[in-house]
Amino acid sequence: MKRVSVLLLLCLAIFYNCEKDDFCTKNPVTPMLVLRLYDATNRDTIKSAKFLSIWAEGKDTISGYQSVTKDSIAIPLNSLTSETVYHFKINTLEGNLANNQIETFTIQYAPVHEFVSRSCGYRVLFNEVTFSSNNTWIQEFTPSTLTTIDNQNAAHVKIYH
Amino acid sequence: MVFTLGFSQEKNAAMPKVNLDSIVYKTAYGLRLGIDISKPIIGAFSDTYNGYEVVGDYRISKNFYLAAEIGFEKATTIEDYTNSTSKGSYLRIGFNYNNFENWLDMNNEIFTGVRYGLGIFEQRLNSYTPNANSTYFPSQSIENPMSESGLMAHWTELLLGIKVETFKNVFVSASVSYKILISVNDQKNFKSLSAPGFNRIFDSGTGFGFNYTLSYLIPFSKK
Repeated sequence: MKRVSVLLLLCLAIFYNCEKDDFCTKNPVTPMLVLRLYDATNRDTIKSAKFLSIWAEGKDTISGYQSVTKDSIAIPLNSLTSETVYHFKINTLEGNLANNQIETFTIQYAPVHEFVSRSCGYRVLFNEVTFSSNNTWIQEFTPSTLTTIDNQNAAHVKIYH
Repeated sequence: MVFTLGFSQEKNAAMPKVNLDSIVYKTAYGLRLGIDISKPIIGAFSDTYNGYEVVGDYRISKNFYLAAEIGFEKATTIEDYTNSTSKGSYLRIGFNYNNFENWLDMNNEIFTGVRYGLGIFEQRLNSYTPNANSTYFPSQSIENPMSESGLMAHWTELLLGIKVETFKNVFVSASVSYKILISVNDQKNFKSLSAPGFNRIFDSGTGFGFNYTLSYLIPFSKK
């Protein structure tokens, strides 16, 4: 009887601890840069950018950001460098190349590797972030600096256009 | 149990020898020393594991044994984003209780046991790839090992196993253990994913182990 109960206890302990940390459920692990687009005159109103395309300097257009209408943008930062240069193109009509307005948005930062967990590994945090822009269609943005980007729960930058 | 009681009563009372209607089967008491034979075998076939363990126990009463194991282990943990190695020595000390009622003078065991475990080890992060979760800006593996030594792990263990006397004084034993971590040191900006003597450290601070040992009993006396 004693033997059986010990065996049962051990089995119970084994099953109780079958929680898995084999899968990384945290998503995303490394935060993306989140931008929110607002109306430049009526500053509390969200305003979508039309026919928006986004690509980084020297790279193809990001899938999901090819001539789309969006009021919020989530884009990755290059963790191997300390600067990512993005181009945001908007237009008033599809395919009207002459009306393309291209904004160059530069993000500078210090990437830091932080351990998360066995399954997720290390994530990248971006510290001492500075934003700059050539102000073509974006009239203003705020803030221009951030101490860190360590999550993407809320927009990091408000863009007025 | 009834047997021993009867026996000791007779001795204590120093009564004249009465003719008991049974024969007292004596079993050997002594120090049992052995090695874990599963660890070198696993080590021979695995690229990521090396281990040796010496085991010993000392019988203190009919069913109780003081038991200890000392060993060395080196284990490499390969995860999706990290590759790390823990290497060091460990000691486990505690006792086993034999639940098995032997026939005649047989000396087999079905035992349960408890242990306190202590491991002192070095943890090395061999390489890692930051989890940038971006195909647009893929990250690169970083081969810049950082290691920290003098890390310690403390834990408790519950064991369940069997011991069979195959030849005179030669025992084969198999056991499984469930380990509960008390504390472990982590490397700076990393985590100890496994510890010598503890094996893989699960998120809940638990672990599992097994032993397959061959040991020899040096008999001191028969009781």
